[in-house]
Amino acid sequence: MDAIRTENLTKKYALGWRRGRLLALDKLNLHVHEGEVYGLLGPNGSGKSTTLKLILGLISMTSGEARVFDVPCEKVQSRLHVGFLPENPYFYKYLTGAETLEFYGRLCGMKGTHLNKRIDELLALVGLAHARDRRLAGYSKGMLQRIGLAQALIHDPKLLLLDEPTAGVDPIGSKDIRDLILRLKETGKTVLLSSHLLAQVQDVCDRIGVLNLGKMILEGRVDQLISDQRRVSITVQGLPETAREKVMETVRAAGGELVSIEHPQTTLEALFLEALNKDKRGAGEHD
Amino acid sequence: MRTRIIAVLVLIIPSWIMIPLEDRIQSENARLNYGTVRVTREMRDSIGQGMAIALLAGFRGVVADFVWIQSQGYFEKREWLRQYRNMEAASLLQPFSTFFWNIGAWHMAWNIGYAVSVDPANFTKAEGIKRQHEWWNKARDFLQRGIENVPSRPDLYYAMGWLYWEKYKDPCNAQTYFHEALEAKGAPMSLDTSFLVIRHMEARAMEKCGDVMGAYEYWKQLWFQDRTKVPEMWGVVEREIKRLEDVLNIPNNKRVFPKNQSKTTSVS
Amino acid sequence: MTEPTQKNIAAAKPKKEWVGFSVRRVATIGENTFTEAVRQKVYNILIVFALVVIASASFFSEFTFSEQLKFIKDFCLGALSVFGTLIAIVGTAQLLPNEVENRTIYTILAKPVRRFEFLLGKYMGSVLLIFVSLVMMSIMFSAALAFKEHRLVSDASRTMGNTSRVEEKQELQQQIQQIRSEVLDPNLVKAVLLIFAKLALLAAITLLISTVSTSMIFNVTVAFMVLIMGHLVGTAREMWSSNTWAKWLLALIPDLGSFNVADNIVLGNAIPWMHVGAVVLYGLVYTACTVAAAHFVFSDREI
Repeated sequence: MDAIRTENLTKKYALGWRRGRLLALDKLNLHVHEGEVYGLLGPNGSGKSTTLKLILGLISMTSGEARVFDVPCEKVQSRLHVGFLPENPYFYKYLTGAETLEFYGRLCGMKGTHLNKRIDELLALVGLAHARDRRLAGYSKGMLQRIGLAQALIHDPKLLLLDEPTAGVDPIGSKDIRDLILRLKETGKTVLLSSHLLAQVQDVCDRIGVLNLGKMILEGRVDQLISDQRRVSITVQGLPETAREKVMETVRAAGGELVSIEHPQTTLEALFLEALNKDKRGAGEHD
Repeated sequence: MRTRIIAVLVLIIPSWIMIPLEDRIQSENARLNYGTVRVTREMRDSIGQGMAIALLAGFRGVVADFVWIQSQGYFEKREWLRQYRNMEAASLLQPFSTFFWNIGAWHMAWNIGYAVSVDPANFTKAEGIKRQHEWWNKARDFLQRGIENVPSRPDLYYAMGWLYWEKYKDPCNAQTYFHEALEAKGAPMSLDTSFLVIRHMEARAMEKCGDVMGAYEYWKQLWFQDRTKVPEMWGVVEREIKRLEDVLNIPNNKRVFPKNQSKTTSVS
Repeated sequence: MTEPTQKNIAAAKPKKEWVGFSVRRVATIGENTFTEAVRQKVYNILIVFALVVIASASFFSEFTFSEQLKFIKDFCLGALSVFGTLIAIVGTAQLLPNEVENRTIYTILAKPVRRFEFLLGKYMGSVLLIFVSLVMMSIMFSAALAFKEHRLVSDASRTMGNTSRVEEKQELQQQIQQIRSEVLDPNLVKAVLLIFAKLALLAAITLLISTVSTSMIFNVTVAFMVLIMGHLVGTAREMWSSNTWAKWLLALIPDLGSFNVADNIVLGNAIPWMHVGAVVLYGLVYTACTVAAAHFVFSDREI
C-alpha cells in the first residue's frame, strides 16, 4: 500500500467571471511509498502547494483521485495518520510553545499525561525545551519552523507533509531540519516534502519529482538522477601540476576523453534547469 | 454550488416557517405598549440627526434621556420654551411611559411656574402671576396628553390631582383625579406603596370640596381595614378621624374615639 | 521508476477507522479562540464601558432619584448593547480571515478535524467571548446601581433624621423602599438575556458573511448593514403589513428590534417570561439556521 497515491489528479481554479479556469495541476500520478522521503520540486507556482492541499482535503479536486493509505482524501479519516507543516507557519502568536502543542494534541484526541509526555518529548526532539513557556510571538523563524514540525508530529503520524520546510531558515537551522527528517525516516515515517531549492533537499530525499506548470516533468531516485553513468570523477589530493599532464595522457591513451577538470558536482540544479528548459509549454505566471 | 443553494434554503425556509412566531412577537409587543412611535420630521429636527440615528439603532431610551438632560440645561439658562420643547420631545419618544409626562409637568408647574413669577423681566407683579398661570395650564395640558397616552396607570392622575390641589387650589377637581388614580387598572409602576397616600389625599380633597361627612366616612372606612393585610399610616388616620369627629360634632356614642375615654385604643 | 524498499508491504489493513463529530474538538477550538481574544486584550474595550458606568453613576445628582436611576439603567444597558455589538461583530468578523492569513486553518484542518467542528468551535469561542463580556459588564452595571442606591438611600435617611413630621418621615420611608425596588429590578436580567440572544445571532450572521468573503472590512461592513436592516424591518413590516409579497420578503431579515426590551424594562413595564421565551426561541432558530448555512458555504470552500 502506498502512503500516497494519486491518479490523474487534476485541479482547475476558477479565475473569475468569464475568465476561464487555470489548470494548476494536470493529471498528476504521484506514488509515495511507505517509508521513503519524497521531494516534490519545482519553481514557485508549479503546483506543489496545490498537490499538498489536495492531499489534505483543503481544496477539492476537479477530477482524478487521491488516496492516503488507501483512504480517499475527501474523508476526514484520511488525515488520521498525517502530519502537516505549512509553508511559513505562523500559528497562534499568543500561545506558548507548550500550549500550541497541547492545542493540536487535543485536536487529535490526545489528553492527560499521555499528551503532556508527548509534548515534552517533542519539544526536546525539536530542541525547543528551553522555549516551552515563551509565547510564539517571540519565536524566531527557525523556531517557528521547528514548533511547526513538532505540531505536525504530535499524534505520531505515519506520514508527514512538509511544505517548504527549509525555506527562509538559516543554513544551520536548515541543516537541523534536514537531520530531523532523516531521523524521522529512520523511525519508519513517510515524508513528502516540497521545495524549490533542490540543493537543500537532495541529501534527504530518496526520490524526487519535478513539477512545472502543473505537470510532472521528471521523477526518479536522487542517486540515479545525479549520477551520470558515462562520467567518472576521480578525486585526488596533493597532485602536483606536472603529474596532471601524465594523468591526462593516460586517460587519452586509454581512449577516454577529458571533458573538464573542474571539480565535478553534477548537480540536480543543472538537471532541474535542463528539464525545465525542455518543457517548452511556455511559462505563464501561474498560481 | 449545490451547497450554496442548500445554504440559501436553510436560511429562507425557516424564516418563512417562523412568520407566525414573528407575528406573535410583534402583536405581543404592541399589546404590551412597546409599539414604536414613528419619528416625525419635526421630532428629528428637534433631537438632531445623530440622535435620530441612535433612535433607529434601537436606543430610544438613551436618546430620550439625552434630550431630557439637555432640557435641564435650558432651565438653568432660563430658556423655558426650549426646555418645554425638549421635555415634550423626550415624552414623545417614550410616550407610553408616565415617566417624562409626570416629571415634565412637575417642572412646568412648580419650577418654571415659580421662576417666571419672580422673573425680573416682568413689568408688574400681576404679569408674573399671569405667566405662572400659563405654565400651570401648560402643565395641565401636558398631563392630559400623557393621560391620553397612558390611561391605565395611576401616576398621571395622581400628578394631575396634586396640580389641582396645590396650584389651582381646586379640591373638587383634585378629588376627581385622586379618585381616578385609585381606579386606574394598570399595574402601578412606582405607586404600589403610595396608594395610601392617594387615599388620604382623596379624603382631604373631599372634605375641602365640601363633603365633610363623606370625608369622615372615608377615613372611618380606612380605619376599619384589615390591619394584617393593608399597610396604613394608622396614626394619621386616627388624628383625622378625631379632628373630623370634633368638626362634625359626632355624638360620643357614635364616635370611633369617644371623648371621655383614654387613648388606649389599639394603635399600632 | 525504481522500486523503493517497501517495509510494510504486508502490513495488515487496520480496521475501518471513523472520525465522528466531537464536542471535545469543538470545545478545544472554542477555548483557543477565546484565549486568543483575551490575550489580544479584546477586553480593553470594557475599560471604556467602565468609564460610561462611572460617569452615569456619578453625574446627574441634581435630578430626582427616579430620573437618576433611569439614566443609569438606560446608559448602562445602552453601552452594554453597543460594546457587546462591537465585540460580537468585530470579534467574529476577524476569525476566519485571521485563520486564513496566518495559515493556522491549514494546520487545524490537516488534523482529523471536521470543518463543521472547526466552524462551530470558532463560533462558540466568539459566543463565549460575548457571554463573558456581558457578565463582566453586568457586574459593573450592578456595582454602579448598588453605589447609587447606597447614595440615594443615605441621602433620604439623612433627610429623614432632620425632619420630625410623621408624614414626611413615612413618605421618605416609602421613597427608600421605592429606590430599593427600582434598583433591585429582577427584570433587568431579561434585558441582558435578550441582548445576549441578539448578539449571539449577530455573531452567527457575521460568521456566515465571513465564510463567503475573505476581507475583514467587508465582513464588518456587511454585518453592520444587516444590523441596521434588522432594526428597521419591524417598522417596515408594520408599514407594508397588507402587502403579502413584502411580508414574505421582510421575513428573511431577522427582526433585531424585537430583542430590544431594555427601554421598557427601565420604564418598569412588565415583560412576561412567555414573551422573553418567545423572542429567545426566535433568536435561537435564526442562529441555528445561520450557523447551518455558514457550514454549508464553508464545507466546500477552497482554503
